[in-house]
Amino acid sequence: MINKSVANWVTIIVGSIALLWMIPLVGVVVTSLRPLTQTTLGWWNPDDFSLTLDAWTTVWTKYPLLDAFWVSVKIAGLSTLIPVILAPMAAYAFQFLKFRFRRVLLILIINAFVLPNQVVVIPLFRLWRELGMIDNIWAVIIPFAGMSFAWAVYLVKNYLEDFPKELIEAAMVDGCGPIARFFHVVLPNSITPIAAVAILQFLWTWNGLLLPVVFLRSDIPLTALLARIQGQYESNWDQMSVAAIVTTVVPLVIFVVFQRFFTAGASTKSGSKE
Amino acid sequence: MTVVAEANDPRQKVGNRRTKKGDGVAAWVLITPLLILFAISIVYPLIETIRLSFYDIRGVAAPKFFGITNYLRLFQDANFRHSMLATLQWTLASTFFAVAIGWMLAMLCSLAPKRTLPFRVMIFAAYGVAEAVSGFMWLGIYRPDAAGLLNVVLQTLGLSSQPHPWLGDANTAMPAVIAAYVWTQVGLPLMMCFASIQSIPTSLREAAYVDGASPMRMLRYIVMPLSMPGVRVATFITLLSSLKAFDLIYMLTAGGPVRSTETVGYFMYRESMQNFKLGYGAAATVVLLVAVLIVSVPAIIQRTGEAK
Repeated sequence: MINKSVANWVTIIVGSIALLWMIPLVGVVVTSLRPLTQTTLGWWNPDDFSLTLDAWTTVWTKYPLLDAFWVSVKIAGLSTLIPVILAPMAAYAFQFLKFRFRRVLLILIINAFVLPNQVVVIPLFRLWRELGMIDNIWAVIIPFAGMSFAWAVYLVKNYLEDFPKELIEAAMVDGCGPIARFFHVVLPNSITPIAAVAILQFLWTWNGLLLPVVFLRSDIPLTALLARIQGQYESNWDQMSVAAIVTTVVPLVIFVVFQRFFTAGASTKSGSKE
Repeated sequence: MTVVAEANDPRQKVGNRRTKKGDGVAAWVLITPLLILFAISIVYPLIETIRLSFYDIRGVAAPKFFGITNYLRLFQDANFRHSMLATLQWTLASTFFAVAIGWMLAMLCSLAPKRTLPFRVMIFAAYGVAEAVSGFMWLGIYRPDAAGLLNVVLQTLGLSSQPHPWLGDANTAMPAVIAAYVWTQVGLPLMMCFASIQSIPTSLREAAYVDGASPMRMLRYIVMPLSMPGVRVATFITLLSSLKAFDLIYMLTAGGPVRSTETVGYFMYRESMQNFKLGYGAAATVVLLVAVLIVSVPAIIQRTGEAK
């Protein structure tokens, strides 16, 4: 549809920007692979270049990286699962059902998005201490899920605004109740926004630092471990880089595997060759 | 077609009236689990923060009722006023650049969607990096000595002869942190705008192509106006995440130098976590919330109104 030379130019321009974008990431990988003595003047310093896996082998025995990895999986997984189930249910109710306080509740929930994380930390810390839930991963999962509802409901509801009404009305005629309509009609046709919610929530909770640092003591996720390593030692940039890479790998893989959901329908709808 | 016919069928109206009654009950069944978690993790802490803002709380001493003294002090505090300004600067600049760059890239990518896929993934990759990790990455780029990557590049290009302390100079610290933040954020508007562009019916673009429209005109008159839904969602999300941003500022400048990068979020952290003035920090939080609500409520009421 669009001629070849335009496509070529676009590829070159976007490609160069993307390469520029990768510089900080490349920096961390290179830092993790070069001996510490060579990178004191910057990882890009070309003098005396050699590669080593020292940092990669020592970091595992030195820090509980695997345990932290497992904690991260549990926290991000459960914090993602809860809104993926609850947010579409609520978005459907807000969009298609009439009930008291519908508008007030919707405004309240969506507005909660403006609430900075710092607001919930101190009151929740007092509450968890009271309930003996400090160092319990649910102390982190509950606020992670609670804070996601604002944008998750917004995102799914935004999508449902364009949902074909005829489908719902047809189900009504067939005698489908309001809850059955959600599970049989709306849910199977709303995979796109739900996948977007799942991916974003996973990235955010995997990368979250403030809540785990305040609420967890021994079972800490990767980000908190990284902050701890950085606090304890001054100059082990190579090992910190390894920890940084391990922290980053999972969200990246998740995204690369599931990114097609962001552009879902694109390839089937557009039909353009390029 | 048959579906539409049935929707206009008088029988449907009867069914409609019958099922309406169950709507309320069903709605509460569907939203109650969400409301419980929401109450624990948002409503309770919010009320508690407002309550604490009227108390004088220092360290472990018993809280003392303080009336509005915290608020009066806050508005006389030059540091707080400055942090409000810094927040405004930070939020507007980072949202503008992240969305503008993301949208432009999305439009470019839409001209060659298949070939640019790996590049979109590369740019979005930065969004998957924890702010704590990206702060660590950018520290190397902004190094103040002659070994800092930015200083090396500028010197090689002959643009400067002296190494510049990017994060140590009150004039460049804020732009430097914003640049690093924009780097992490662009992927989201890029993906959202791109998805929005891809949902534009191909027939429109084909029609324009048949009419001999150049790629630039096609972007200007078809893609740009029709991708607005994606741009709006991206702006909303980027704006509100930037208001909460904390980790990156913490990693790069810790609010310095001379508080030039101290946003309200950081001010709260310093007053409550470092100076242990919980009540004072809570009052700052409440002021920020009120300011944010004034800005965002009209937009949200408008949105929820549309959805009648």
